[in-house]
Amino acid sequence: MRRVGVGGITGSREAFYATLVLMGVLLFVPQLHNGYLENLFRGILMFGAMSLGWNLIGGYAGYVSFGNVVFFGLGAYTAAVLSAHGLHNVLVAVAVAAVVAVIFATVFGIPILRLRGHYFGIATLGLALATMEIISNLDYFGGGTGLTVRQDAFFSLYYYVMWAVCLGSLLATYAIARSKLGYAFVAIRENEDAAAVLGINTTFYKVAAWAISGIMAGAAGAVFAFANGFIDPDTAFSTDNNIFPIVMALLGGAGTVAGPVTGALILTAINETLWSHFPKIHTIFFGAVIVLVVLFLPRGILHLFRARQTARVFLESLRAYRV
Amino acid sequence: MALFLQDLVNGILAGGILAVVALGFSLVWGIMNIINLAHGAFIMLGAYITYQLFTSFHLDPFASIPVSFVLMFAFGYLVQKYVINYVVRAPVLTTFLLTFGLSLLLVNLALVVWTGDARAVTPSYAGANFSIGPVTVPWAKLATLACALAITALMHWWLTHSKMGRAIRATSMDVGAAQLSGVRVAQVYAVVYGLGAGLAGAAGSLISLSFSLNPAMGDPFIIKAFVVCVLGGLGSVEGALVGGLVYGIVESFGSQYIGTGYQDAVALVVLLIVLILRPTGIIGKATA
Amino acid sequence: MQSRLVSFILALALVVTLLGPTASAPARAAGNTIVFGAAVSLTGRESKEGRLTQEGYDFWKDYVNSHGGLTVGGKKYQVAIKYYDDEDNPQTSARLVEKLINDDKVNFILGPYGSSATFTTAAVVERYKVPMVEANGAAEAIFNQGYKYTFGVLAPARRYLEGILDMGAHMSPPAKTVAISSANDAFSLEVAQGAAAAAKEHGIQVVYQDKYPVTTTDLSTVVSAIKAANPDIILNAGHLTDALLLHKGLKEQNVVAKIYGYSVGPDTPDFRSALGRDANYVFGAAQWSTTAKYRGIPGFIQTSAEYTREFKAKYGHDPDYHNAESTAGCLAFQYAIEKAGSLDPQRVRDALANLDVMTFYGRIKFDQRGLNMYKPMVVNQIQNGELVTVWPAAVAVAKPEYPTPVWARR
Repeated sequence: MRRVGVGGITGSREAFYATLVLMGVLLFVPQLHNGYLENLFRGILMFGAMSLGWNLIGGYAGYVSFGNVVFFGLGAYTAAVLSAHGLHNVLVAVAVAAVVAVIFATVFGIPILRLRGHYFGIATLGLALATMEIISNLDYFGGGTGLTVRQDAFFSLYYYVMWAVCLGSLLATYAIARSKLGYAFVAIRENEDAAAVLGINTTFYKVAAWAISGIMAGAAGAVFAFANGFIDPDTAFSTDNNIFPIVMALLGGAGTVAGPVTGALILTAINETLWSHFPKIHTIFFGAVIVLVVLFLPRGILHLFRARQTARVFLESLRAYRV
Repeated sequence: MALFLQDLVNGILAGGILAVVALGFSLVWGIMNIINLAHGAFIMLGAYITYQLFTSFHLDPFASIPVSFVLMFAFGYLVQKYVINYVVRAPVLTTFLLTFGLSLLLVNLALVVWTGDARAVTPSYAGANFSIGPVTVPWAKLATLACALAITALMHWWLTHSKMGRAIRATSMDVGAAQLSGVRVAQVYAVVYGLGAGLAGAAGSLISLSFSLNPAMGDPFIIKAFVVCVLGGLGSVEGALVGGLVYGIVESFGSQYIGTGYQDAVALVVLLIVLILRPTGIIGKATA
Repeated sequence: MQSRLVSFILALALVVTLLGPTASAPARAAGNTIVFGAAVSLTGRESKEGRLTQEGYDFWKDYVNSHGGLTVGGKKYQVAIKYYDDEDNPQTSARLVEKLINDDKVNFILGPYGSSATFTTAAVVERYKVPMVEANGAAEAIFNQGYKYTFGVLAPARRYLEGILDMGAHMSPPAKTVAISSANDAFSLEVAQGAAAAAKEHGIQVVYQDKYPVTTTDLSTVVSAIKAANPDIILNAGHLTDALLLHKGLKEQNVVAKIYGYSVGPDTPDFRSALGRDANYVFGAAQWSTTAKYRGIPGFIQTSAEYTREFKAKYGHDPDYHNAESTAGCLAFQYAIEKAGSLDPQRVRDALANLDVMTFYGRIKFDQRGLNMYKPMVVNQIQNGELVTVWPAAVAVAKPEYPTPVWARR
C-alpha cells in the first residue's frame, strides 16, 4: 500500500491553509479571559507541537518512535533546572531545551537509529523509561519529589509562547516537506537501502529527523513546565504525553503537514466530550477510539475527504492487511 | 556472602516467572511479527481470574492456572481472529497502536469492574519458607519456578510433536510454503495469539501469589518480556527460559549493588547495550 | 470543495471543544448556598483514597446542612460541593480546578488527593487568590513555596513515623537499630527523611536506608538487604501496594524484627484482609484513629466515638483517617467562614491563617506557611485483627505488643 500522502508529501495544501487559519483563531483564546479554556487550548497547542515532532520521525521518515516523550521530559526539566538556578525566562528555557534535544538525539540517535521497525520502537521506549528512572534518582533534578518552577505574573505569556512553538513547528514541517530534507525522509521511509545506494546519507538524515522532532517536543515541554508550575518524573514522562501525539498524528494523517494539529484538535475534542458526558467510563471509550481509528482510519481523517468513495476508505486498510 | 547467595536465589526465582511471561510474548512476536502491547493486560486478567476464583470459590491458586490459561486462550483466539487478523501484515505503527488501544481498553475495564484497590491472593501457605544455610527460599516462589519449567517443557514438546505445533513452526519459517502445504495460516495465527494470551494468563496466575493485584500491574512486564526476548532469542522456548533467568539474576544483583531506585533502569540499560552492540542477525531480525 | 470540508471539520471540532465541557451543568454559587469545588481521583490508581476523601467531605456537608447550615454574618447558608474526577492525574487536577473557579464559580476549593495533585492545584489557587484547604497532601515542600492561599490540616510527612521511633526507644529492651525503605515519591521521601532524623534524635542507628521505584513489582532485593542489616525496627515509607509487597516479602525471606512500621497501609482494612494473621503486631502511623480522645468545640460532632458511629451508620464502614482528615478540612473552612462573617475570599483566607480550634480530629492551627504543625500523629497497632491506638499515652487505649514474635506465632 502506498503511503505517500495525496498531494505530494505535504499532504493537501488546502488542509494546510485551513490549519493556518485555525492557528490564527487560536491566537485570540486568552482574550476570552477564561483560565480553563486557556488551559485547554494551550494543551492542544502543546500536543500539536509534540505530534508534529513525532510526525517527522514517525510519519515522514518511517521510524516509529515510541519514546519521543523523552524529549518533552528533558525540555521540561531543562526549564525547571534553569528556574531552580534563578533563570525564570521561558524563552531562554525553550532555546536551551532545543539545544539539549539536539545533543541527546545525536548522542543516542546514532546507535539507536541503526535499529529498525519494532526494535527501534521498543528501544526508544526503553530509553524514555530509563531516562525517567535515572532522573528520579538524582537530587539535582529534585529526585522523586520534583521541582517547582516560578511563574511569571503575566500568565497568558505561556499561552502565547506555546502558540509560537506550535506555529513554528507547523511552518518548519511545511518547509521541510518541500525541501531536500523532506524528500530524503520519505525516501528513507519507502526504501532505506535503495536510498542509501542512491547516495543519501541515511544516518545524517535520520538523526536530523529525530533531532528536529526532539526540538519541537522539547520546546513544548519547556513551556509546559512554566505553565504547570511544577515538574516531577511522572508528569514529565507520562504515558499520555507519549502516546497522545502518536494517536493524534495518525488520526489527522501521518506524513502530512496538517495532520498532527488537526488530530490534536479532534482528539482533544473527543476526549473532553467523552469526559464531560461519561465521567466514570470515558477512559474505556478512549481505548476503543484508538482501536477504531487504527482499524478504520489508519491514514487519517484528512484522507477521508480526498477519496472518491468515503465508505470504501474505511475498509481498504482491512482488506489490504488481512491475512 | 549470605546476601550474595540470597540475591542469587531471588533472581532465579524471579527469572522463572519472567520466563513464562516472556514465552507467550516471544511466540507472538517470533511467529507473527507482532509486538503485543496488550500482553500486560492479559497477564493482569489472568491474575484477576485467579483472584476471583480464590475469593469466590476458594479455588487454590495453583489449581486455577489451567483455568486462566484456557479462558485467556479463548479470549486471545477470538481477538486475533476478529480484530488483529485484519492488520497482521500492516506496518509496525498500526499493530503497536492497535494492541496499545486494546490494552487501554482492558485495563480501564478492569478498573471499572474491580476498582483500583490493591487486591491480594493469600492462601494459607503464602509466605511459608524453608532455609538452606543462610538462604531462605519461599515455597510459593519455588513452586512457581517449578510450574514455569513445566510449562516451558510442555510448550516445547507440543510445538515439536503435535500437528498444530508443526504447522506453527512451518508458518514461522515461510508463510508461502506453509500455505502451499495446506496450512491454514489464519487459523495458525489465531492459535498462536491465543497461546500467547493463555501463557500470559498462566503467568498472571503465578504472579498473583507474590504480588498485589491492580489493573495496571501488567504494564511493567512488557518491557521485561522484550528484554528477555532480545537476550534469549525470538520464538524460542528455551530462549525464553534462559533469557528469563539471566534477566532475573541481572536485575537482582544490579538493583542490590547499584541501588534499588535504579531497579528498572538497570535492565533497560542492559537492553539498550545489547540492542546497540549486537551484530545484525544474531538473534532474530533487528534490521529487517 | 475539499478545503470547505476541511474547514468544516476544524470548525466543528473547535465548537465541540468549547461546548462539550460547558454542556455539563455548572454549579453557580446561588444566593443561599456556599459552593465548594473539589477535584479528586474517583478513577485511577488512587481511586480508593479519592473516594475516601469524597466520603469525608460529603459527611460534613450532609451533617451541616441537616443541622441548619452555616451562619455567615447573620444569614443562614446551605453548603454544596461540586466534584470532578481528576483520574489521579495532577495535570488534570489543575485544569479542573481552573474550571471550577472560572466556569462553575465556586466560592472555595477543597484539596485533591495526593501530594503531586496538591502541588499543581496550590499553584492555581494562588494565581486566582481562592483559598484552599487540603487534607490529603502531606509533602512539606508544598508549603515551602510561599503560597498564601493553601492550608493543610494534616500533620506533615516528616512526622509520620516519628511516633513509632519514639515508642521504640521507650520500650524495654529499647530498639537500637532501624531500616528505612521508601518509595521514590515526594511524600514517601519526606516521611523517610523525617524518620531518619527522628531516629538520630532518639539514638537509634539507621542501618539501612534506600528507595525503590513507585511502580515496582518486586521488592526481593530490598528485603534481602534489610535482612542482611538485621534491624530492630523495619520502617516503610510508601503506599498500600508496596506496604503489602514488602510485608509479604519479609515473611517469605523470614526476616524477623521487633517492630514493623508502615506509613500507609495498616490503617486500611485491605491491609488486614490481604495479610490475615501476618498483619498482627504491625504498627501504622495515622493522622487520627477511631479511638482518639480529643474533644472538639461545639458546632460539629465533638468526639471521635460519635463521629465513628454516625459515619458508620451512613457509609456502612468504619471511618479511616482519610475520611476524618477530609472532614477536618471542611471543618477548618466552617469555623473560618463563621468567624470571618463573610464569604469574601480574602477575609476567609485571613480567618484561616489565624484559626486555632480543637476538633474531634485534633487541634487545627496553621503555621505561617499554612501547615498544621500542632497535631501529632498517633501510632496504631493491629492486635488480633483489630486496629488500636497505642501511642502516645495520652490518646492510647491499649499497650503496644512488643517485641513482635516470629512469623509462625502471629
